[in-house]
Amino acid sequence: MSDTTVLGGRAVRESLRTPDALIPTIFIPLFFPVVNTGRVSEIFRSDTTAFLQGRGYAAFQLPTSLLPAASFGSSALFLVEEIEGGYFDKLRAAPISRVSIVFGRLWSEGVKSLVLTALMVAVALPFGVRIAGGVTGFAVLLVLIALWAVVFSGFMQLVALKSRSAAATQAGSMVFFPLLFITPNFVPRDQLSPLMEIASSFNPVTYLMEAAGSLVLDPSFQWAVLGKGFAVVAVAMAVMVALTVRAINDYE
Amino acid sequence: MYSLWTSIYDRGQDLSCSTATLEESDHHPDQKETLMTLAVEATALAKRYRGKGGEVDAVRGIDPAIPAGSVFGFLGPNGAGKSTTVRMLTTLMTITSGSARVAGVDVAADPDGVRRRIGVALREAGLDPRQTGRELLRLQCRLYGLSAAEAVARTEELLRLVELEDAADRNVKGYSGGMKRRLDLASALVHRPEVLFLDEPTTGLDPASRLTIWEEVRRINEQGTTVFLTTQYLEEADQLCDDVAIIDDGLIVRQGSPAALKDELGRRRGDGIAPTLDDVFLDATGRSRARVAGDVQEVRA
Ligand SMILES: Nc1ncnc2c1ncn2[C@@H]1O[C@H](COP(=O)(O)OP(=O)(O)OP(=O)(O)O)[C@@H](O)[C@H]1O
Ligand SMILES: [Mg+2]
Repeated sequence: MSDTTVLGGRAVRESLRTPDALIPTIFIPLFFPVVNTGRVSEIFRSDTTAFLQGRGYAAFQLPTSLLPAASFGSSALFLVEEIEGGYFDKLRAAPISRVSIVFGRLWSEGVKSLVLTALMVAVALPFGVRIAGGVTGFAVLLVLIALWAVVFSGFMQLVALKSRSAAATQAGSMVFFPLLFITPNFVPRDQLSPLMEIASSFNPVTYLMEAAGSLVLDPSFQWAVLGKGFAVVAVAMAVMVALTVRAINDYE
Repeated sequence: MYSLWTSIYDRGQDLSCSTATLEESDHHPDQKETLMTLAVEATALAKRYRGKGGEVDAVRGIDPAIPAGSVFGFLGPNGAGKSTTVRMLTTLMTITSGSARVAGVDVAADPDGVRRRIGVALREAGLDPRQTGRELLRLQCRLYGLSAAEAVARTEELLRLVELEDAADRNVKGYSGGMKRRLDLASALVHRPEVLFLDEPTTGLDPASRLTIWEEVRRINEQGTTVFLTTQYLEEADQLCDDVAIIDDGLIVRQGSPAALKDELGRRRGDGIAPTLDDVFLDATGRSRARVAGDVQEVRA
């Protein structure tokens, strides 16, 4: 555990020293919601659109900013660079649990995501976006998004460990597009085209987005929706951890 | 005759670190009762890579025995299996068959025990470019179980040792090749290892930087650390090593002290010209000077 925190501290340092790696993490999450809101906020007016529950379309778009901001594989790119450069072997030769080499970065991704999510919610406040769930809702939202950030980074690090190639890892992070856009990010699921509705039902991120959305839009906690969101994260986390432990122990 | 073990043996006296022992042979009738400790010993150590392109037998059964306290040089042409051997001995790679003990600990059975006792600096000088030299050493200290306060003290000590105090707060990214090697060496020493593995520690360095590394290696060795190094430079092996082994195509083809190996070749040739370690290398790996030098035809009559 202490190895993980020591290596996590290093990973935080590394992120802070590479601010340019944050540019896509900020740009894409701002781009889509701003454009989406700009295009349709006159159509989806809060007084005439039932799914907005009396709130603005910008609030509905908040999860569409938060999830992509938590879905970047920058930690995996650092990892693959470390593998290619040889520092990874140096760490593997140290008397530490090898899993901590990978989990240190995940820890830092979680922390980074907490900070980033809080900042993005703060940025949304002047646009009239409020978290309907209040302070508790905000806290739950932070945890949900941060856990997702850890899961997503974990899978990207797995690609890095298996491929040992920066190009493959970069390509792997592109799964983020289908994952985040085959979702009810534009309108709720029941208003999607039938094909899209089916496709999005198979996408785990759909349940995350709905859980995040309910925290933003609905002052009463929708336990069923939240439960599905957290269940998806928990299962994905378990799969990711199991695969990572195996990958790092078999690595040579 | 120069004994393989003499110099090593003398130094081995004050070493208590390793547990493997070997009955001393009749080279030293006066010291027959003394036991000699081995820092590295392997039996039929082999590595087979299995890849898409088929199988490669990189190491095909070697039995190095390296006395504690010595500097051991592992020589061989490109692709001979030097790095593969180092990677097996340092727990970075599984052993296909055979066994190895490092600092008295079985590599396959207790890799963590081995990791605690060894220092490793590999050819790529693999260092984290985004940390400063000081941060990197402190982190390394923490990973080897030093407390935060101990890490600070040990880091300063090591920075002085490898003369990197002035650059300590710069990102490693901006270091020169020689500085990176020195930092890598320092990072392998944080926990005062019993055995230090260096894979081509001076490849690509200018002559002055190379000398600095040699001095460090000697100093480290004088403090009792066994050094296992691979090198492409035969002069380096001649200068630094008590013993060398020449590996070719996964098999050890010569082993002994540089002096003994040169002696042996000189006697075998019987031409009265003192051979160099280069000659021994070329002889052992079946490469003649004429072939190596090409048109120059640098053949000794
Ligand atoms: N990961 C790998 N997969 C397959 N074959 C490998 C792998 N690593 C090394 N080899 C092969 O094993 C043999 C020994 O390689 P090794 O790197 O141990 O040689 P070396 O003596 O260190 O060479 P050099 O002087 O070039 O560093 C070579 O034939 C090499 O092609
Ligand atoms: Mg090599």
